[in-house]
Amino acid sequence: MEILARAIDLSRRFGRYPALSGLDFELRQGEVLGLLGPNGAGKTTCLRLLSGGLHPSRGKIEILGIDLSRRPVAAKRHLGYLPERPPLYPELRVDEYLRHCARLHRVPRRGVKEAVAEAKRRCGLDGVGRQLIAKLSKGFRQRLGIAQAILHRPRLLILDEPTEGLDPVQTREVRALIRELSKDSGIILSSHVLPEVQAVCDRVLVLHHGRLLRSEHLSAAPRAGLCRVRVAGAVDPGQMARLPCVEAAIALGEGRYRMILTEGATSGDLARQIVGAGLELHELGPERPDLERVFFDLIGAGDPA
Amino acid sequence: MIGIIAGREVRSALVTPLPWILLGGGQVVLSWIFLKVVDDFAGLEADERVASLTLELTLNLFGFAAVILMLAAPLMAMRMLSGELRDGSFELVAAAPVRIGQLVIGKYLALVGLMTPLCLLPILNLAWIAGIADLDPGQVAAATLGLWLAGLMFCSVGLYASSLSTQPGASVLVAFSILLVFSIIGRAESLASPGLSLFGWLSWNEHLFWFLAGAVRASDIAYFLSFAGVFLALSHRRLSNRYLQ
Repeated sequence: MEILARAIDLSRRFGRYPALSGLDFELRQGEVLGLLGPNGAGKTTCLRLLSGGLHPSRGKIEILGIDLSRRPVAAKRHLGYLPERPPLYPELRVDEYLRHCARLHRVPRRGVKEAVAEAKRRCGLDGVGRQLIAKLSKGFRQRLGIAQAILHRPRLLILDEPTEGLDPVQTREVRALIRELSKDSGIILSSHVLPEVQAVCDRVLVLHHGRLLRSEHLSAAPRAGLCRVRVAGAVDPGQMARLPCVEAAIALGEGRYRMILTEGATSGDLARQIVGAGLELHELGPERPDLERVFFDLIGAGDPA
Repeated sequence: MIGIIAGREVRSALVTPLPWILLGGGQVVLSWIFLKVVDDFAGLEADERVASLTLELTLNLFGFAAVILMLAAPLMAMRMLSGELRDGSFELVAAAPVRIGQLVIGKYLALVGLMTPLCLLPILNLAWIAGIADLDPGQVAAATLGLWLAGLMFCSVGLYASSLSTQPGASVLVAFSILLVFSIIGRAESLASPGLSLFGWLSWNEHLFWFLAGAVRASDIAYFLSFAGVFLALSHRRLSNRYLQ
């Protein structure tokens, strides 16, 4: 697949403070890359460097093979960027603002109306086109910020905490939008919210103190042979482990268990055997990669539980 | 691209009260000065008059309009860069395929467009007596041109100061201080050796005076245009350096 963005030995210092050191990564078409890290890890600095709003102290960035420092205008044509604070003009109306953004991103004059309508539809802004931006709620401002980033259909989309300030319904819609957009472009996003990264990203870069600690591929598919169950009452872990389709059972407390199944066994077999053993099954689900555990292990924080 | 940036700046400015307040306030002050000059002139006998009505009006009316412009240009410029840097909306153009030169020129042209109606206020006042008084149209045109050229310089200084700080108030004070220094610097000539005319040349009001007197000199035009160019280049430099900071 085509490489949309490539960072080579990317470093940035603010005075003596190294905000980012020696970051290397690639982003391919159709991939969603998450930047994860605590406050001050260098996520926003990394995204500002990628958007062309900052020059790197060392290293270089290529957008579709174009050096961002040497040919910024050509490279930025392929970029859509939502900064930490949506870059809005409060005195303009939503439609005026989006039309201006479209022209700024060199959408041909006759395509502006269509591009604005499409961006508004995708971001749920259809009903607020005539409203002043100053009067929009925080959630709508965030959506408008996303709309300006996507209206010129960029190949590379950079989103700094895209679901910040959104309610749970909007958050789910934006996550679905990110997945949809990733079909045509590559997306880099930063977030503090681990489940969000887990839900939308294919790969995650864990940053800490400006350094890349780990690049982890996240598979949306559950790992075969791993299940998580919850049963009623206090059950002896040994009893769970003795079920014929179970190789091992790890008690997680409060009736929860992580079950490792024998080869060829399915979750259906497990459900039947738990019920057959006279236990009351409350939950049974696939075990997904535990990003939270990986994250806390990497940054050296204690057990989050 | 320059037109897109300038158009947005003008639209944004026109929906805020600032240009309308400056225009209305400026008109009130200038019409007061206009009435006072005409009243004083009409009260004098022909042999007591030391200057023509046109000269009295250009020196007082256009001279004071320049002071108003000196305040207005930094006020209008403060939101163009300083305000955007503070609010984060500058990130929009920073990530867009726009050259810094296009950005600076676009914002500058918008500022000039907003400043030009203020330059036309004195001539609007003179229209009241155009039919009844014998005014020198050439001198009035020269004074208007001089005022507009001074406005070009004030706008570029305002834009440069706006690029210096994320605090719009601070950027206004910086611009006003720069313009004030270039206004009074001519007085240093009397303190230094009488032959040294550099300080006098640097002073913008010395150059404006010749326009108000009806003389359009290439050296004065060059002064205003070159100063405007220097401060635009400094604004460009400043914004380029922001990417490195």
